[in-house]
Amino acid sequence: MYQSFIGLEIHIHLLTDTKVFCSCKAAFGSEPNTHVCPVCLGHPGVLPALNRAALDMGALVAQALHCQIPDRTWFERKQYFYPDMPKNYQISQFASPLGQQGYMDILFKGQKKRVCIKECHLEEDAGKMIHAGNVTLLDYNRAGTALLEIVTEPDLETGAEAEAFIQQLRRLVRYLGVCDGNMEEGSLRSDANVSVNLKGAGLGRKVEIKNLNSSRFVRLALDYEIERQKEILESGGVVKQETRLWNENRDQTESMRSKEDSHDYRFFPEPDLPVLEITEAYRRETQSRLMELPLERLERFVRDYGLPLEQADYICEERALADYFEEAVQAIKGLERVDAARRVALWLAADVKRVMNRDGVAPESINRWSFSPQRLAQIVELLGRGAISGKIAKQALELSVAEDRDPQDIVQERGWQLIQDPEVIGRYVQEVLQKEAGSFQEAISALENGNQKRYETLTVYLVGKVLAESQGRCDAPLVKAQIEKQIGEAKPCVC
Amino acid sequence: MSRSVDKDGFPAYVSAWEARIGAFLEIRKPELLSAQGESSLGPGGASGPVKGLPFAVKDNIAVEGFGLTCGSKLLADFRATYTATAVKRLESAGAAVIGKTNMDEFGMGSSTDNSALKRTNNPWDTSRVAGGSSGGSAAAVAAGLVPFALGSDTGGSVRQPAAFCGVVGLKPTYGAVSRFGLVAYASSLESIGVLADSVGRARDVFRIIQGEDPLDQTTVAARVVHGTANQKAGGKKVLAVLDPASLAQAVSAAVRGARGLDAADGGAESAHRDAAEEANLINLLEEEVLAGFSKAVEGYKALGYEVREVSIPSLAYSVPVYYTIATAEASANLARFDGIRYGKRPEWAENPEDLIDKTRAMGFGSEVKLRILLGTFVLRSGFQDRYYLRAQRLRKHITGEFLSLFTGPEAPSALLMPVFPTRAFGRGDRGPALSSFAQKAADIFTCPANLAGLPAIAFPASVEGGLPVGVQLLGAPFTEELLCDIAAEYEADHPIPHPEGYQSFWR
Repeated sequence: MYQSFIGLEIHIHLLTDTKVFCSCKAAFGSEPNTHVCPVCLGHPGVLPALNRAALDMGALVAQALHCQIPDRTWFERKQYFYPDMPKNYQISQFASPLGQQGYMDILFKGQKKRVCIKECHLEEDAGKMIHAGNVTLLDYNRAGTALLEIVTEPDLETGAEAEAFIQQLRRLVRYLGVCDGNMEEGSLRSDANVSVNLKGAGLGRKVEIKNLNSSRFVRLALDYEIERQKEILESGGVVKQETRLWNENRDQTESMRSKEDSHDYRFFPEPDLPVLEITEAYRRETQSRLMELPLERLERFVRDYGLPLEQADYICEERALADYFEEAVQAIKGLERVDAARRVALWLAADVKRVMNRDGVAPESINRWSFSPQRLAQIVELLGRGAISGKIAKQALELSVAEDRDPQDIVQERGWQLIQDPEVIGRYVQEVLQKEAGSFQEAISALENGNQKRYETLTVYLVGKVLAESQGRCDAPLVKAQIEKQIGEAKPCVC
Repeated sequence: MSRSVDKDGFPAYVSAWEARIGAFLEIRKPELLSAQGESSLGPGGASGPVKGLPFAVKDNIAVEGFGLTCGSKLLADFRATYTATAVKRLESAGAAVIGKTNMDEFGMGSSTDNSALKRTNNPWDTSRVAGGSSGGSAAAVAAGLVPFALGSDTGGSVRQPAAFCGVVGLKPTYGAVSRFGLVAYASSLESIGVLADSVGRARDVFRIIQGEDPLDQTTVAARVVHGTANQKAGGKKVLAVLDPASLAQAVSAAVRGARGLDAADGGAESAHRDAAEEANLINLLEEEVLAGFSKAVEGYKALGYEVREVSIPSLAYSVPVYYTIATAEASANLARFDGIRYGKRPEWAENPEDLIDKTRAMGFGSEVKLRILLGTFVLRSGFQDRYYLRAQRLRKHITGEFLSLFTGPEAPSALLMPVFPTRAFGRGDRGPALSSFAQKAADIFTCPANLAGLPAIAFPASVEGGLPVGVQLLGAPFTEELLCDIAAEYEADHPIPHPEGYQSFWR
């Protein structure tokens, strides 16, 4: 009977080479205060100069989120004092965000859900403050790096849904190549707001939650908070409008500041940066840089290739992996496309994945792996045509990776193709039937006596022996046919 | 032609003047002064009108290796870590910085007496102020210590001290000169400007420092909006003149209107009334200033100009609009002075917040604190409509009135206006003879050019009662060349006056 409303504010670090308003390198993990200059340190007299790449990346995300990009967009100063913020105001966007009123579809529990995007806007990041005993240290390497803040409408309902949104947004921005999506390092950060109310009564009183360093914490904190608010309402209380922090050690949210203590940011237009006039040509240009987005691609893989959802989901998680998949499918000539795709997907989700895990090949860097999609295609095609056995196929994969050579060369060179010559197979069969005379005889009797089950067991056994003798190279169906023929034509022993 | 003349005795000349006027906060050693010019100071190779010339820079413009105090205690020990674009361009053209000049703290004032570091006197009468906030730069040029200096003009801070000291003061179009390296007071209003010993010199310097700068994106935007007019004088000679008396009347009416509106305020009312009276009074030109202004009008008539009286009604609101916007921007611009990364800070603080509080409490002077408070007040959420946004709407209106004045086939080339209602004022026992409030109200003639982003050039019209009187010409965006042409015509008939003891070391 209660309903919860969750909105997310997600900050993504844009992968620009330099900071958003100066030419310092935007790099992480360097010696403190090595990527700083008078501009990002807020020295007297400096001016911000907008990095065009940040605008372009921001606009790309805005369009991927189906946002309107206004004709005129500008920056504001958001004012508050904080030691890690060199100017004591943040250059952000307030009245004219770069992207407005969009949406993003997500897949949740197999269903598609549309989440409205209120806005996305460009801003600069602050530095980092480190408290060490009696002193406070400041590192400004991060100060002035480009952020895009994405704000959703309160369209999400549960922690799990919010988690799915973040994961799929992460996938999206990684596809676009504008953010590495690393939540642990803070390249993708999320704050959440949540309110609970009786069903049909509209939004409740909003609580903001900060310090959510992983999508899992987002889920846990929101579920915790929804329960907490329900309990308050249940007992006739009123939820306090406030900002709360997620305490990951205690698995709970804790009050940080109430609404009365909230800042008056005193926004006003940033006079140092001109208003940006967005032209139709710019919008078109941005549109042309958009590629097929992850969800569209996933749906296409399911629709056109008949892939199971889980496999399509795994393959689409990384753009490089999905590209790899499609390249491999394309390279296969001798099989039906859907057949080829299913086989490639299966390999990617199983044997190839296992080798990648073992060798430390990350899905996002599969495009730099020596085992190219063409090589996987060769294996799938050889197997699909029946030219090699499944066992040989796996060996060919291992060797191709180890020796950095084409699987078809390996198969050729080692004579690993299936033996289909009836005479050669006949010789193997004869040899095995002599060695396994007992089983052979028993099979003949079983056939005679109509013991079908026993007959089949023995036949499979004998086929297996032949395959083993030929090191898996004999064509199994042909072997089976010959053995069945031999059994059928033999006279039962009367002695 | 611009070659320096004999510089023997120059260091002694500078020392003697400097002891009387205190224009500089920092100056190169005398031996370097005597050597300035072709040898050690200027880079070789360059040739042009400023090659070999020394110049002074207001201490809110960054020059690497020099201080950058902005006239504030807070930055008394701060050294610039880079050089402003305008200074770089002059250095590349062969000119050399010889020192940094005094100013009202962060550019907030009209006398230079708001400097926390030094007192600067007017070379014409050392008991009087040099004007402000670029008072040090104006005094240095007036005394002949440098042929030109850079200043900054947020609401008249180049033109008013130029008028007080009897030199030329050019405030360029907003965006014509890069602000990179100018410590911001009110970013949307201010420009780096030139104080010079002649109109021609001001023009030479302007030509060098103007132009787009990737480090100041407003320099690019301005040209997109306005194009680069800069036509030369010629054809029909029409000059608009703003009648100072009618402007004073308009202000008076606006003040009365505001008083009527706020009558319900009760206790605040009498304070408000007193302030209004003061504003009214100051807007009436001093007799000598009126005399100088009339001479300028007559001078232009004699030069064949058709003088056309115009009125710009919205100007009555320019001072409150100016102070609302300027203080709003200042409250943000000065927020960075927190003692954390640079600047004077207390010996001890409890935590970062305490450090910030103490730094600002002891580092800023009272005028600066007043303006930060005002700016914070007008930007409060829920009150922006009443103050900041209203001021922005009025600003747009004022700009529109100016632009339409300069548009059309019959449009005047420029608008002639007074610079300041008084000549250089003196000091009483308790500070400047003109109250801090009256100084603000008196910005009515200078701040409109900043609100509208227009170029303006101030130059001496005459000397009245032993003190120079300045007038100014305002023009359409990017018409600095035209303004210089018109000012130079007057200058040809009325050479720039000099204070007693002035000696010229440069052609």
